[in-house]
Amino acid sequence: MKCAEIHPNLTAFVLGGLEPEEAAEVRRHLASCPSCRNELRELQKVSHALEAAPPPADPPSYLKDEILSRVRAEALYPSTKADSSSLVERRRSSKTSRFNRLKDLRIVLPSAAAAAVVAMITLGVFFGFMREEPPVATIQLVPTPQEAAALNGYWGVAEIRPQPSGNQQVELKLNNFEEPKPNSYYELWFVSGEKRISAGSFTSVSQGEIRVLLNVPPEASNYHTLLITEQHIDNDSAPGEEVALKGEVP
Amino acid sequence: MMPQRADELSDEQLMSRLGGPEVEAALSKLYDRYSRTVYGVGLKILGDRSLSEELVQDVFLKVWRSSSTFNPSRASFSTWLYMVTRSVAIDLYRKRAHRVHQIPDGETHVLTTRDPSEGPQEVVDESWLSWRVSRALEVLDVPHKEVIHLAYFEGLSQREISERTGVPLGTVKSRTASAFKSLRGELAVGDTLQEAIR
Repeated sequence: MKCAEIHPNLTAFVLGGLEPEEAAEVRRHLASCPSCRNELRELQKVSHALEAAPPPADPPSYLKDEILSRVRAEALYPSTKADSSSLVERRRSSKTSRFNRLKDLRIVLPSAAAAAVVAMITLGVFFGFMREEPPVATIQLVPTPQEAAALNGYWGVAEIRPQPSGNQQVELKLNNFEEPKPNSYYELWFVSGEKRISAGSFTSVSQGEIRVLLNVPPEASNYHTLLITEQHIDNDSAPGEEVALKGEVP
Repeated sequence: MMPQRADELSDEQLMSRLGGPEVEAALSKLYDRYSRTVYGVGLKILGDRSLSEELVQDVFLKVWRSSSTFNPSRASFSTWLYMVTRSVAIDLYRKRAHRVHQIPDGETHVLTTRDPSEGPQEVVDESWLSWRVSRALEVLDVPHKEVIHLAYFEGLSQREISERTGVPLGTVKSRTASAFKSLRGELAVGDTLQEAIR
C-alpha cells in the first residue's frame, strides 16, 4: 500500500478504531516506511495529550445566572465591590458562591454542605429579619486557656436556629473581639473528636459588638464542640491551632 | 455603524467591555466560551464537583473584577484566564485539604479521589496540559468534536461511529484525521504559550 492510502487510516489506527484487517495493513506498511512511522509518532503525541483532557461536562446552568446577578448587584452598588487582592474578597467570593448554592445543596451539591456556607458580618446591626425562629441552643463561648491572657474583656455566645432547609443557622455575638493578626481571619468549626466541619470564616474589629451569621449542614448537629480558630491566609490548608474561643453544645 | 454583537468579538475585545455598560453581555459570552474548560479542569485537578462549581464562580467574578489588569500584549485571554484559574484552584485545593473531613454517614461529603500525597503545586501543574487540550477540543467544530468524542471518550471504532451517526465511513475517517490535525496545531500553539508564561 502507498503512503497516500495509509494516511487516512493512521489517526484511526492510533485511536484503535480500525477493523482488524485494516490495522494489519497499516502495520505492514509501517514496518517498511520511516516517513509514516514519523507521522504515527506525531499522532501518538496528540493521542497521549488527549489523556489529559478534562471530563466532558458542563457546569450547572444556574451558575452563570448567579455570576451575572452578582456582577449586576456589584455594578449597581460599587461600594460592595472588593479589592481583588484582599482577604475580604477571598472570603466574600467564597461566601457568595456558597450562599447562592444553598437552595441547591440537597439536590446538586451535597459535598458543599461539608464546607462553610455563609458568613455575614455586621457591626452593631440588628438582624431582626433573620430572627424568626427562637434559638434551640445558646452556647457560651469562652477563651481557651492558652489564649485567655491575651483576650481579656470580651464575651461571646453562639445561638443555633434550625432552618427549613435542614441547615442550622449559627449567630455569633462577640463583644470586643480581638482583631485577627495581619493576614489572618477567624474560622468557626463544629468539632467531634478528630473530625471538624467548617462553618465559615469572618473577621473582626476589637471594639464593640459584632454579629456573625453562618450556616452549617444538618450533620453539624452531631458535632457538639464549637471552636473559633485564627487562620493565616497563607496557611489555610490546615485548621488553625490558635483557638480563640470554645464552647460546648448543651 | 451597527454595534458588533458579543459573539462576533474576540476574547480580548470582550475583556475591554467588562468595564462598560455591556459588561453582562461580554462576561456572558466569555462564560459561554470558557466555563466548560474551567469546570472541566476543576474536576480534573480538584476531583470535587462542588469545588469545581466554586472555582467557576470565583474565576469569572475575578475575571470581571480584575479585568483592568489584563494586558493583551503580554498574553492571550486564554493564557491569562488559565493563570487566574490556576491561582483560584490552588486556593480551593488548600481549602479542601482541611475542609473535607470524614463525616459519619456522609459518603456524599467525601468526594475527593486525588492521591493525598500530591501537593497542590504538583496537581495544579498538570492543569496546563488539561487546559490546552480542553481549549483545543473546544475550538473544533461540532462534527469534528463529535468524532473525537465518540472515538476517544466512548471508544467506538470508525465503523461504529459511522453506524451511530449515519455519516459515511470515509467521511468519519477524514473527519477524525482532520480533527487530529487541528488538535495538533492547537497544542503546538499551546506549547509556545507555555514558554511565554514561564
